[in-house]
Amino acid sequence: MRKEFIILTNNPLVKDRLGEEFEVEFMEISYEEVLKKVRDFVYNKHELLTHPLSGSVKPNETPYKSVMVAKKPERFDLESVKIIDSAIAACPKFEFKSDKYAEEVYEDFQYIDYTLISSALPSAVAW
Amino acid sequence: MRRLELGHINITDIQFGSESKIENGVLYVDEEAVKAIVLEDERIKDCKLDIAKPGESVRITPVKDVIEPRVKVEGRGGIFPGVISKVDTVGEGKTYALKGMAVVTAGKIVGFQEGIIDMTGPGADYTPFSKLNNLVVVCEPVEGIKQHDYEPAVRFAGFRVAVYLGELARELTPDKVEVFETYGIMEGAEKLPGLPRVAYVQMLQSQGLLHDTYVYGVDAKKTLSTIMTPTEIMDGAIVSGNCVSACDKNPTYVHLNNGVVHDLFEEHGKTINFVCQIITNENVYLADKQRSSDWTAKLCRLLDLDGIVLSQEGFGNPDTDLIMNCKKIEAEGVKTVIITDEYAGRDGKSQSLADADVAADAVITGGNANQVIVLPKLDKVIGTLDYVNTIAGGNEHSLREDGTIEVEIQAITGATNETGFGYLSAR
Amino acid sequence: MIKVVHYINQFFAQIGGEEMAHIPAERHDGEVKGPGAAFKAAFKDEAEIISTIVCGDSYFNEHLEEAKSTILAWVKELNPDVFIAGPAFNAGRYGVACGTIADAVQEELGIPAVTGMYVENPGADMFKNKVYTVPTKNSAAGARDAVSKMAPLALKLAKKEAIGASCQDNYMPNGTRVNFFEEKRGSRRAVDMLLKKLADKPFVTEYPMPDFDRVAPNPAVKDISKATIAIVTSGGIVPKGNPDHIESSNASHYGEYDITGVTDLTEATYETAHGGYDPVYANEDSDRVIPVDVLRDMEKEGIIGKLHNKFYTTVGNGTAVASSKAFAEEFSQKLLADGVDAVILTST
Repeated sequence: MRKEFIILTNNPLVKDRLGEEFEVEFMEISYEEVLKKVRDFVYNKHELLTHPLSGSVKPNETPYKSVMVAKKPERFDLESVKIIDSAIAACPKFEFKSDKYAEEVYEDFQYIDYTLISSALPSAVAW
Repeated sequence: MRRLELGHINITDIQFGSESKIENGVLYVDEEAVKAIVLEDERIKDCKLDIAKPGESVRITPVKDVIEPRVKVEGRGGIFPGVISKVDTVGEGKTYALKGMAVVTAGKIVGFQEGIIDMTGPGADYTPFSKLNNLVVVCEPVEGIKQHDYEPAVRFAGFRVAVYLGELARELTPDKVEVFETYGIMEGAEKLPGLPRVAYVQMLQSQGLLHDTYVYGVDAKKTLSTIMTPTEIMDGAIVSGNCVSACDKNPTYVHLNNGVVHDLFEEHGKTINFVCQIITNENVYLADKQRSSDWTAKLCRLLDLDGIVLSQEGFGNPDTDLIMNCKKIEAEGVKTVIITDEYAGRDGKSQSLADADVAADAVITGGNANQVIVLPKLDKVIGTLDYVNTIAGGNEHSLREDGTIEVEIQAITGATNETGFGYLSAR
Repeated sequence: MIKVVHYINQFFAQIGGEEMAHIPAERHDGEVKGPGAAFKAAFKDEAEIISTIVCGDSYFNEHLEEAKSTILAWVKELNPDVFIAGPAFNAGRYGVACGTIADAVQEELGIPAVTGMYVENPGADMFKNKVYTVPTKNSAAGARDAVSKMAPLALKLAKKEAIGASCQDNYMPNGTRVNFFEEKRGSRRAVDMLLKKLADKPFVTEYPMPDFDRVAPNPAVKDISKATIAIVTSGGIVPKGNPDHIESSNASHYGEYDITGVTDLTEATYETAHGGYDPVYANEDSDRVIPVDVLRDMEKEGIIGKLHNKFYTTVGNGTAVASSKAFAEEFSQKLLADGVDAVILTST
């Protein structure tokens, strides 16, 4: 059974590359705000499908984040709540420097975030 | 029974010379020959070679991978099967390793590149690679190339150079030979009755570009949890494509010399029966995590294990895999010790992991990666300091006017390794 | 020479036991009393105890502010390099007194302090994250061992040397993770720990998991429209004026208040006693912490059966887990006796 999903993202590259084929909700907000948006979805019974702290590039280091949630609200999933809450709690541990890079570095950050969320697609479309 | 003899060829010095050879513990490197091997790949425009020795006032950054040269002298397959050598099951016969040295690949791949190896000073204490004679290969990409094309180019270049250097040892006599023997399931139970059955469960980084690991050439995120003979890694069955989170990623050197495998072998036949190695991944998709951890727990039960050591790679996302694996394996009645590292904030007061469970009652930690350190100015930089201000654990003030660098230890290659490769810990 | 001020209770000053616990604070300059002798020996020529302060345990806890300000004034005048309190072993009130005064000396005078007590002493739970607290045995028989750990730690603090990890400098883990290099590498330590775990021998984890007091949820209320619902809060909501004087932090008791006929909590009638968050919004409208208004609506609409006519309240701010448990054990019985079916528990 194919699970329908939404990708919540602040990464314009994800919108450009995946927006046609999949449902992508693009928002011009911060990394942490994306996680909080994800939390809103989880609180409204959308199951979390990818790990919000995907990638070893730390919060506050990369400005970009893309997370996949189930399109249909089904059940209040405690595991999803635990994961998204812990992820938000982890943000302040890292020095904020997302706005300190040269122009081209942001392209790299966008690209890495794009590959991270893309790595979930084969599984997401298979099930 | 499977048996691997690992011969140590001790390398006490590296020098450039007109011909590549090993003589009396000195590795002579024909610079042009090595360059030609690197430049076989048209994605690499140019490369520079340099040598960094322990105690020298040298800083290598940004580091991509660290690789120990090896050569397969007897038995099936070759070093780095499915990557450099043909796909064939390795881990038996005779292998020689160039000990006391490494090939280090360095140079920009992305703009937030990271990884520092200091050969002297306080930073040197935090990286295991400061104790090695390092042949550093600094690569430069052809213009306009995309990161996903360039990362494998540098990855493979490192392996080719390591295999080339390893070949120089083929006809030599090792300084020391270690012997590793493992048994089939039934055979082991008969030979070592009464000893607790133990395995090593290794989680491999597998999240996407710059976050990948390859097993016999297969991208680990496309694998199911599976069983290996623990000697297979000694021939390079697992290699690193992971370039992010310098402190707790496993460079290929760590895969080849995995400490848990080594230290479990030390007890094998004495206090435990080291049954096998189980590998599993750390995917981004949560259902993948569920499946992979279900499988590790199932394999642990199927093998009638009494205990395991579970190691991690990376930050955040893998914490969830770590706890899922630990919970499920403990629930099968298999006693579990986990190895992780911590992100407890610069002041050490934040929650260390992004997940937790009471089942994780036996934890080894590689220390707090957010700890701040000031690295002195060193005389020579191999690579470039251009990225020091943007590396993980640094900020725009990291590179200070007097040439010193203030960073978190997460910028140092291998500082808080989660296979227990280093000595750092925290309480 | 390093100057030390030592705090002990009436018992260790050999004044008397419980019958003398009422004595107010005394200052004995130039005197070494009780375990002070062992400290003196441990310090050799590096440090001297310039004064011993003695206070009865009951006096300290019952005249907290007075005792604290007297002792702080003395310590300020004496201006030592380090302040030592105890060790208190398993004596509960003594442990709390040691933690309280050591914390105050550090916070208000900027003088480093160390104390020692048994891990289950309530003072340990309350202060180990604020004051370096050396774990001791549960009785004075462990005095020699306690002093042998407290003295070097006190000297290090006095000399402003960097304090190592808890396992190196012998204090209770205090929520601050400190890095250090082990003698064996991590993989070897993991194998050693596994061997112990396999043999059912004791081992010490290097990272204790955060302490979750997991409570299994009760089965769902069958018919909420017939249920009596009570409100319990750690958010400190009290009738205006805080009639029972619930403390703004580290609460020693809870309050029970009747809300018969109350449909809305207003600025004029209710407020919060809590000192751990900005009280403005809770004081403006205490329904924001305990939703009496909404529950009354639901009662009227028949969504819930009834709102219980009493609510229970305390301040969660810094209140010991042990105290909270004791409060709840007591008022849970009252809730049961009153036929309450379910409780809405709010925090802040």
